[in-house]
Amino acid sequence: MSPRYTPILIEHFTNPRHVGMPEEADASGQGGGGPLCPDDMAYVWIHVEDGRIAEIYHKTLGCPVAIASSSMTCTLAEGKTLDEALQITPDAVVEALGGVPERKADSVVATEALHKAIEAYRAAHPTEAEP
Amino acid sequence: MDLASIRADFPILERTIHGKPLIYLDNAATTQRPRQVLETLTAFYSTYNANIHRSPHLLGQEATELYEQAHENVARFIGIEDGGEIIFLRNTSEAINLVGTSLLRPESGALQFRPGDEIVITVMEHHSNLVPWQVFCQEVSLRLRVAGLREDGTLDLDHLAQLLGPRTRLVCCTHISNVLGTINPVAEIGRMAHASGALFLVDGAQSVPHMPVRVEDLGCDFLAFSGHKMLAPMGIGVLYGRRELLEQMAPFLYGGDMIAEVTLEHSTWNDLPWKFEAGTANVGDAIALGGAEDLRTGQRLIGAVDYLEAIGMAEVRAHEATLIARLVEGLRTIPGVRIYGPLEKERRAAVVSFTVEGANPSFVAKLLDEEGIAVRAGGHCAHPLAQALGIAGTVRASPYIYNTPEEIERFLTASEEIVRKLRKAL
Repeated sequence: MSPRYTPILIEHFTNPRHVGMPEEADASGQGGGGPLCPDDMAYVWIHVEDGRIAEIYHKTLGCPVAIASSSMTCTLAEGKTLDEALQITPDAVVEALGGVPERKADSVVATEALHKAIEAYRAAHPTEAEP
Repeated sequence: MDLASIRADFPILERTIHGKPLIYLDNAATTQRPRQVLETLTAFYSTYNANIHRSPHLLGQEATELYEQAHENVARFIGIEDGGEIIFLRNTSEAINLVGTSLLRPESGALQFRPGDEIVITVMEHHSNLVPWQVFCQEVSLRLRVAGLREDGTLDLDHLAQLLGPRTRLVCCTHISNVLGTINPVAEIGRMAHASGALFLVDGAQSVPHMPVRVEDLGCDFLAFSGHKMLAPMGIGVLYGRRELLEQMAPFLYGGDMIAEVTLEHSTWNDLPWKFEAGTANVGDAIALGGAEDLRTGQRLIGAVDYLEAIGMAEVRAHEATLIARLVEGLRTIPGVRIYGPLEKERRAAVVSFTVEGANPSFVAKLLDEEGIAVRAGGHCAHPLAQALGIAGTVRASPYIYNTPEEIERFLTASEEIVRKLRKAL
């Protein structure tokens, strides 16, 4: 818990990375919108090449923490193998942002969406070899 | 109807949202107001504003006349002759609360609800026609019975018939579901209610603004509706009640203007409809709803009702039926979209609710907003209905007189695009 938005969080909120709804993607996932924080939602789209996340996009509707977390989640996930990307936890995202002031629930929407996208990808490509 | 000239009457339609022309499809929540109605508000407050009833001055007399005419005009709009049967309140919720509150009071005599009495509603009621009855039933040990749905999103009349019995005192039913768009066979339900000796209340919030509605055709004892869903300002609503009942019924709120004589020990009540309109009324908004004419100068204050009558309610219904048919047809062809409620346009009014497989309805609505398209998402104040359908909520598009076929096409194109992207690889 940090008392205010950190400079990293403000930077990711005002200039969020990986924003977009791509025309083509290999898989997508949705996060948030649940009872804990109904107004924060994220969609994540991934392109997978050779078992790694080659491209990742998100569309996030929510508070600054949700948007910055989505931006950071995608930043952390880009280039990783699917297994590595599944290791990106909300805590890891919060830590990378230098902490969030409150309502930690807002920071989970993108990791939830990312994990669902990876699950969807694996369901669609059950036999594909991964590094 | 001349769509271009209608649109020119609505200043808000010139707005852009996120840099795109506004497409307003949230009319089941509230409509926009034409400049004529806005001008009536300005005219009232700049020319006629004074408190009504018992005013010794001309200004007060003029305001009183205009306010009383507004009652008469709203009466005419729903096909009745007696302006005393039109009570101005804040909205549909307040109108329904009036009926319940009054019928709980001993002063309502033979009409008073007694422990063990039963009230029948339907699962497709808006919270405004559910929550009051829920609470009143708990307060005085009444029994609330709820009629369910058929598979096709229409009301299960057989189930409703089973619920009616000797203790049924009141049947309450929405004319049109604000979620499903289902047009309920209210006349038939009214006959069933009356045959079992019950009174019949219709929630007309989604019907009176959208189609010809005549009390006689509905066969109802009470009809509640809101001005803000039919071009009038927020804060003015209507309860129609049959005179014979209203005369027997206890007042709703007590205080100024609703009395005939007052002593420190006892008060008697004013004539209809004033008996039910306690305190200073919402005169300006009532005139903006009903319209009125200054009989001295001939100045016409155009009300929402005048505006709709000039188009013709049958025309309004026909225009919306065309738009809705295209909406339903277009949405059905988008993979992953599911539409709720009846598909035939004869049984559906100007509302279409849908879900997108795997997508949160609020997310879809917010993405549509980025395209300048205003729709609603969620449970639409009818949460038990969503529970009955087994869903968390829907996206709801609801057109009105100013929506164009081109706007519907833009909505469908935007929806298709959004759904395609959201469902990618799902």
